[in-house]
Amino acid sequence: MIRFILRRLLSTALVLLVVTFVLYLLLNAAMDFFWDLRASTSPNIEDLFESRRRLLDLDTPVVIRYFSWLSGAAGCVIGQCDLGTAWYQNQEVTDQLKGAIVNTVKLITASTLLAIVLGVAVGVVSAIRQYTGFDYFITFLSFLLYSLPVFWVAVLLKQYGAIEINNFMNEPQLSSWWPVIVVCLAMGLFWMGAVGGDRRRRIITFCAATLISFATIYYILASGWAQSPSIGFIGVVVIGAGAAVVMTFLSTGLKNRRVLLASITVVVIGALLYMPLQYLFFYVEMNWLWIVGLLILAVAICLGVGLAFRGPDPWDTARTTAITGVIVAVLIFCDRVLQEWDAYSGHPAINGRPIATIGASSPNIDGGFWMGNLDTFTHLLLPSIALVLISFASYTRYTRGSMLEVMSQDYIRTARAKGLNERTVVMRHALRNGLLPLASIVPVDIITMIGGAVITETIFGWNGMGRLFIDSMNRAEIDPVMAYIVITGLLAIVANLVADFLYAVLDPRIRVNA
Amino acid sequence: MSTNKDTDTTDDLEEVGDNAIAAKETEGQSQGKIVLRKFLRHKGAMGGLIVLAAIALFAFSSLGIFGLPGWWIFNHTASGQVVNPGGAPTWSLSNPFNLGEHPFGQDEIGRDNFARVMKGTQISLMVMAIIGGVALVIGTVVGALAGYYRGWVDAILMRITDGFIILPTIVVGAILGRLVSGTNGAILGLVLGAILWTGLARLVRGDFLSLREREFVDSARVAGAGDLRIMFKHMAPNAMGVIIVNTTLLMSQAIVLEAALSFLGFGIQPPDVSLGQLISEYQSSFATRPWLFWWPGLFIVAIALSINFIGDGLRDAFDPRMKTIPSWRKMKKAERMTKKGAK
Amino acid sequence: MTEQTETSTSPVLDVNGLGVNFWVNDEWWMAAEDLTYSVNAGEVLAIVGESGSGKSQSSMSLLGLLPANGRATGSAKMGSTELIGMPPEKMQDIRGNEISVIFQEPMTALNPVYTAGFQIVETLRVHLDVGPNEAKERALELMRLVEIPDPEDRFNSFPHQLSGGQRQRIMIAQALACQPKLLIADEPTTALDVTVQAEILKLMRQLKSKLDAGIILITHDMGVVADMADRIIVMRAGRVVESGNAQQIFYHPQHPYTKQLLEAVPHLGTGIEGEAFGTELSEIESASAPGESDERVDPHVDEERKPVGTEDAGAATVAEGGANRTDDLAMEAQEIAAAGRPSSDLGMDSTETYYHPGSQADFSKPSALQLRDAAIEYPAMGRKKAFRAAHHVNLMIAPGEVVGLVGESGSGKTTIGRAALGLLPTVEGDMIVNGKSIKGLSNKKMRPLRKEVGIVFQDPGSSLNPRLPVGESIGEPLYLHEGMKGPELSKSVEDLLTAVELPTSMRNRYPHELSGGQRQRIGIARALTLRPKLLIADEPTSALDVSVQAKVLDLFEGLQQEYGFACLFISHDLAVIERIASRIAVMRHGYLVEIGKSSQVVGNPVHPYTKRLLSAVPVPDPREQRKRREARDAVLEATTDA
Repeated sequence: MIRFILRRLLSTALVLLVVTFVLYLLLNAAMDFFWDLRASTSPNIEDLFESRRRLLDLDTPVVIRYFSWLSGAAGCVIGQCDLGTAWYQNQEVTDQLKGAIVNTVKLITASTLLAIVLGVAVGVVSAIRQYTGFDYFITFLSFLLYSLPVFWVAVLLKQYGAIEINNFMNEPQLSSWWPVIVVCLAMGLFWMGAVGGDRRRRIITFCAATLISFATIYYILASGWAQSPSIGFIGVVVIGAGAAVVMTFLSTGLKNRRVLLASITVVVIGALLYMPLQYLFFYVEMNWLWIVGLLILAVAICLGVGLAFRGPDPWDTARTTAITGVIVAVLIFCDRVLQEWDAYSGHPAINGRPIATIGASSPNIDGGFWMGNLDTFTHLLLPSIALVLISFASYTRYTRGSMLEVMSQDYIRTARAKGLNERTVVMRHALRNGLLPLASIVPVDIITMIGGAVITETIFGWNGMGRLFIDSMNRAEIDPVMAYIVITGLLAIVANLVADFLYAVLDPRIRVNA
Repeated sequence: MSTNKDTDTTDDLEEVGDNAIAAKETEGQSQGKIVLRKFLRHKGAMGGLIVLAAIALFAFSSLGIFGLPGWWIFNHTASGQVVNPGGAPTWSLSNPFNLGEHPFGQDEIGRDNFARVMKGTQISLMVMAIIGGVALVIGTVVGALAGYYRGWVDAILMRITDGFIILPTIVVGAILGRLVSGTNGAILGLVLGAILWTGLARLVRGDFLSLREREFVDSARVAGAGDLRIMFKHMAPNAMGVIIVNTTLLMSQAIVLEAALSFLGFGIQPPDVSLGQLISEYQSSFATRPWLFWWPGLFIVAIALSINFIGDGLRDAFDPRMKTIPSWRKMKKAERMTKKGAK
Repeated sequence: MTEQTETSTSPVLDVNGLGVNFWVNDEWWMAAEDLTYSVNAGEVLAIVGESGSGKSQSSMSLLGLLPANGRATGSAKMGSTELIGMPPEKMQDIRGNEISVIFQEPMTALNPVYTAGFQIVETLRVHLDVGPNEAKERALELMRLVEIPDPEDRFNSFPHQLSGGQRQRIMIAQALACQPKLLIADEPTTALDVTVQAEILKLMRQLKSKLDAGIILITHDMGVVADMADRIIVMRAGRVVESGNAQQIFYHPQHPYTKQLLEAVPHLGTGIEGEAFGTELSEIESASAPGESDERVDPHVDEERKPVGTEDAGAATVAEGGANRTDDLAMEAQEIAAAGRPSSDLGMDSTETYYHPGSQADFSKPSALQLRDAAIEYPAMGRKKAFRAAHHVNLMIAPGEVVGLVGESGSGKTTIGRAALGLLPTVEGDMIVNGKSIKGLSNKKMRPLRKEVGIVFQDPGSSLNPRLPVGESIGEPLYLHEGMKGPELSKSVEDLLTAVELPTSMRNRYPHELSGGQRQRIGIARALTLRPKLLIADEPTSALDVSVQAKVLDLFEGLQQEYGFACLFISHDLAVIERIASRIAVMRHGYLVEIGKSSQVVGNPVHPYTKRLLSAVPVPDPREQRKRREARDAVLEATTDA
């Protein structure tokens, strides 16, 4: 296995090397290094041309220039990076990259995770409800999302997602109740389709979903929640309890009272720790190290609780409690972040328009760890939505297809013939096999995401790699473009590597054979 | 039950037991006819086909093509007098039967938006078709060679494919687009076609690899067929499904890619127009003249969506496992009827 | 219709007027209709029928396991519980608990990502209130019950790490986990090799007596029925055509279909006087001496086309013109010695070829096919290393002779067929087809030689190009080799269709429009287009139902006599081979282990593997099979195969 991966790694690296060579030649041909001088009427234009030629070393053959670039880039292996200079701005490429890489990885990671979770969930439900109205709706939706040009969506998001919502937050007036009613009915239909069942159950689901949606929206509007969103202690407890029930249902079924009880216990512990944590957050200056440490602690506690409930399958319980615990922890974190909302929204740099449309962070914000996070989130929101929209569709379609394939396999019939209930058949026997091929899709999708990021970053002014690429292309700076190509290629290789390992972990046939 | 899905055509005792269900579905029809029939019954695909045909017909007839005049009075470059304040559309939902002079509105210098969108659609469709054609040829040939010969031919061709896949198409597209910028859409199409074939090549290769194991290939070789004959007479028709379906889906990718590149300024350059270029040109006027932004976007979405549905229909039609979708409602009804009858 | 056997116990399952329908194209299609039968505890009810008879679907409907567009009508009662129309939540308690199923394909029927042990434990824990440790204990117990070696190890093995037989044992263990009252075995041995099948059948018999559960055995194999069944239902096109106990069905069939079905089944040992090996227990102990069988007349051999070597039976054959003469001579000497003292001391893993008298490869004679100490490899592909599938094979087929090549999966029998066509390289020794060596020939040089060799493939569905009308497939060799076109070509195609007894109008059909039997006829016609001197038939009938198989074999025999081609007939089915071939070669793990006249091999096998193979074949005759069973169990015991 290891040898196989190493061989692949080596061959892909060689491919990347060849790609950089070819693209260097192409870039050299495509770029007009004198674009800013073309319109110049300066009397010493000849000299300017000459000095540019000398600056960029254009008299040296391009192949030699490539190799000198390559030797600089190869220095990165031994820690002495020289990726060249962006001549127009007279900046070291390595300096340009520093923030850009972090910003792009931030954007792509958030969107990929979200797209996978949502896409897989919806795809599975769509496959189980094959040929129902719900399935047709999801199919149509995913085709629509496939067809949307991301730049067009991004501009629309900027207009409606940010400008209009900001306006609404400032002046929360609904001109008509009709949109709300339509949305609530749509939610009702959606959940009815997703839950399925016989006629009676569908009617109950429809009514419940419609009413809950309406109540939620009404509460948001009436309480002015939209102006200062928060979760609060009650929110943490209620949502946490809901998560406990759902997780128990998915992992072992609600009949298993022990697991349900253990998950609820976790929520109770979370509730008890709520206040102490507020003190901690208040008195200690937080940073990510602390947060990660606390998260690990939370997982450890939850595993402990799960195991303490013993029973025949302590690890099944522990798994469920750990997931529930993570959800509760994230809720508490989000709650703390949202507590900054009023201060943030009222900050002069924000000026009451919290949903950001430009940039990766607001200038002149110095509100500490929590406000910094809030600021990042508001900036991440729109570009992430744009990216999620485009790759959500492919995950949904892919999961659906793969699940349908798996559900028609003989071993699913065997599982049914054993007397397993439908939940176990789907969650235990179908899902794992159905997700296997996804491992080969994720790296491809990440490359697509990076491509999508080029566009979203440009539109949202997100200072990432994609924007650097486009700007450098427009300024005819070959070195930053080459740096972009190398880093993107490496990201793709890493993504493939991770996928290979994932596959090996999930599929015993590969694990043992190779 | 065995996997034997046969048709009984004689009243021979041996055949009677054969699967009557499959028999009914395939009786007396060539594969092509079955595919066509399944495709025609696919509502989404037919809808997509109609919409796409209508758009193409509109775009090419309104402005004319190859020097032939169209029926629309304006062209996409001439500026004119701004009719409505700000150039707002003369056609609105409140009065849908009155198109007015500029149904899609005008831009700030009075150019007719309808003419511009139609011209953009023409060019985008043309670029898309060229991309599809180029990718189809390269992808099929590369995939077929790699899958048929395997060994080092496969290794080399697949490494080349990897070289294209390792970077997002938009990045390679931007570099190549910049290389040919200033030329026309046809060349842009050729260049983009040369980078979009990789997915098709991989799928065709996979198909050829599995077709190669099928006994009819050995059987053709034993019959004395040479490599080329086996590849293109025997195997390629069997890979038709994969090729047609994926070329279709690739075209929807192509139109979005072209639009994105034009949007970023690496594709079609003004004064030429394409749908993406129009959006790019008008994105800053979104707040003041939204119609300039909406119409080209809607046309891209409509075209891409139709093609996706056509591709989905083709996929279902070519999939031998995919039977016609049973109608649950009719089934439940029939069940109730028989139950009533029993009582 | 149901008929109570001597047992007075109340039936486990009472089926009354059961029907299964499928909703296709807005209509109900009948898959089974009006089934009425009952199953008693400790009894095996066999449901026999060919593909499409509805035998499987009707049984799946008992558990509510029909596909979404299927529905069941009528009644099936287990005690007082009605199974048809039971809500799914209740059905879950029945499945795997009261009724369990053994499926056909053990490879695909087990979930590849979970261990064998987990899958048994899962069944136990769904229905019984047991903890993980206790469940594991019970699972191990079950694994011991189904005789899995090293159950502790196997418990943690994934399905792909187990052999086909072991997987099927896991499947059985899982089915027995909750001590069901009724066991539905859906073609439990069809996907297995014959020796593995024998082991599984043996196991199922043992379990049957231990467990006191009713068993419904669904199968198309009359041999398996004869081995297992107490009572039998014969189904055809969704209806029961006949039912009765084993004696009645086998010895006094009433319905013409049952009679036809029984006649169609090839019966091992019909080609020799007396009985096939493995019928008498005594045979096993003293593997008989050869020689005596020489006098026996092989009914398959006509005087005109006496196989080579018949005249000089038992005489020393001198290898003249052999490729490596000295080696050959030495080897022949050994062979003669071996033939003189046929030893029963050959080990199971012996890779030496045992030549029955008269079957030594004599390379001096004219031949259609010669393999001289040939080794054949699947070439290396990327990371996959080259794999040698056949070693040191000496085999020759005289013009006009039919030689059967038998072996189980992975024995290399197909490899030899493919190598003879030049589809796989011969890496050592030599391969001579119709007098010309094809070793190392390029594709191009191979082409003219291909005129004289034809092949019939196993799967008629896959060997015909689905996108070409069958007439074009048949005519292709003529077009490519003789440049024949137009009316001349179409005349030849029509002649060939007539020769394989198909209407000439079929030439414009596509393969999927034909039945399995018709497709195989087309396959034969195509192979014979150029009147080859040698025909390779690679399992030509194993994808067909028995009654179809019988007809195709008849046709094949007729054509062989008419055209007079030599034939290498490859099959896993000894009974079929015995019927069609004058000599039989047996392969195991890539080595040719035994070769001789059909009567010699079937009547007096020498290599332990051949013995094992022969004794494992169930014959469609309950009385004979009862005798064979004891012999079989003894052989299985004596010759455990790795």
